[in-house]
Amino acid sequence: MSDVQTLSLAERLGKVAYRNQGRAEAKPHIVVDTAICNSVCPHKCTTYVCPAQCYTLDEVGQVHFQFEDCIECGTCMYACDQGAVAWSYPDPETGRGVNWNLG
Amino acid sequence: MDERFDCIIVGGGVAGLAAAMTLARGGARFLLIERGEWSGAKNVSGGVLWGRDLARLVPDYWQDDERGWERFVNHRRLTFMDEGSSFSLDFKSDHFDAPPYSGLVVLRSRFDAWLAGKVQEAIDASPHAEDSFLATDILVEEVLMEDGRAVGIRAGDERFYADCVILAEGVNNLLTRQTGLQTEYVPADGLAVGVKEVIRFDESVLRDRIQLGEDSGMTNEFVGWATDGVEGGGFLYTNRDSVSVGLVLGMADLRAKRKAPYDLLNQFKTHPAVADALRGGEVLEYSAKVVSTGDLKVMPKEVYTDGLLVAGEAANLVLNAGRAIQGMDYAMRSGILAAETVLEAKGANDFSRTFLAHYRTALDASYVMQDLRGFQQAVQVLHSPAMFESVPRLVCDFGRQFFTVDNRPTKKAYQILRDVRREHMGFWDLVKLGARASRAL
Repeated sequence: MSDVQTLSLAERLGKVAYRNQGRAEAKPHIVVDTAICNSVCPHKCTTYVCPAQCYTLDEVGQVHFQFEDCIECGTCMYACDQGAVAWSYPDPETGRGVNWNLG
Repeated sequence: MDERFDCIIVGGGVAGLAAAMTLARGGARFLLIERGEWSGAKNVSGGVLWGRDLARLVPDYWQDDERGWERFVNHRRLTFMDEGSSFSLDFKSDHFDAPPYSGLVVLRSRFDAWLAGKVQEAIDASPHAEDSFLATDILVEEVLMEDGRAVGIRAGDERFYADCVILAEGVNNLLTRQTGLQTEYVPADGLAVGVKEVIRFDESVLRDRIQLGEDSGMTNEFVGWATDGVEGGGFLYTNRDSVSVGLVLGMADLRAKRKAPYDLLNQFKTHPAVADALRGGEVLEYSAKVVSTGDLKVMPKEVYTDGLLVAGEAANLVLNAGRAIQGMDYAMRSGILAAETVLEAKGANDFSRTFLAHYRTALDASYVMQDLRGFQQAVQVLHSPAMFESVPRLVCDFGRQFFTVDNRPTKKAYQILRDVRREHMGFWDLVKLGARASRAL
């Protein structure tokens, strides 16, 4: 192997140790009012600034959010200037979130 | 638990642990609550702890058998880059070789866990060995206030009470906002997003490739093409058998330019100056973190109130003024100063805001606030597009011409400089920027 490893985001997130992966359902720590994203928001910036791409655009340009891949950086709560993101920390027992092995 | 603590510390990162160590040594009875499974489990940094305060907390830490840090810094490099070239300022000196070191590369999940172990040893040796605690895996959801004064915290259904609370919760300072010291919504300008990979090598390969000693390491910051026109820069720091490589990107600018941080990181890694260092390495971890830039406008309006003190990045104590990204050293110092104020307050039995203002006075008198105030202009200069666009291109163009030898008559350096200046920047723009930068930096 002599090249520089450039991974896709999915491959990168595959290396993250998420908590409570065994739980059938984890409690979301971020709640997004996507009705705001899909009506008044002029930039839908979370779909590209989120380092884990928890926010995606579908084929008709609607924003969708999932918290399972979130790495708790906080970017979306600042980048969203439309008031659509209600951000909190994941519950250690019932939430998702990360365990950094290196950090 | 009805017992009362002298102090509750929220957050077991650098600031919280520095405060805890100081309280343990000062004979106070405290509870530190960390939401991660262990101290460090939720923490990310680029990677350098600057300054020598660690030796105040853990004397002779460099002789410790278990090592919390990766490498000490004796080699520093600042690289300007365009698409294919890089021009570096490079400084290496044995002046940095003697402990206590003035810079340590760290990986937070390991470093914080190690430091927490040292704090536990200090607790065990203190009069409160049985009733001061480092508690992990607990999320503090609320600061309990009575008549405008912090009296404790709530985690789930449990309430814990203390004479005062130190918030060391990190940049995403939800509790600080709850107390009203910080606005509910903090806008994206004045903040950055950091993304990073840790890439592993055989230790011998890394040492040979980057010319490292047994324990010594290098820090390299990058400006220009690294961020593809987005405000910010790149970094590469050497760990024991890995490197930390990443970008710090101005959040508002990233939003305006519609770029994704993970794409920019991949692009950065393919630049010849970076790729040559990374070849053959294996990505171990990808992480991200919001980073304060040092812009005082995002700081909480105050760092204390009745029964409450705010330390570390929860108070946005981070500075990137072009020489180094300082945050963990500010966290450490502010944690120490907050705890020293708590010890004084305990002695005086006065936890009012009037008394806790001693913390603010001490912070203002320290290098932390002196530098944060003194380098505000530098923070603004680094926001200016010329610093990450035309200047790095100009520098690289100069380097390309200056270092090219190709059987043609050779231009003098001043002629090259004149030509590249014409190519990349207006004369007065350069003069003005130079004047601003020379005063600011």
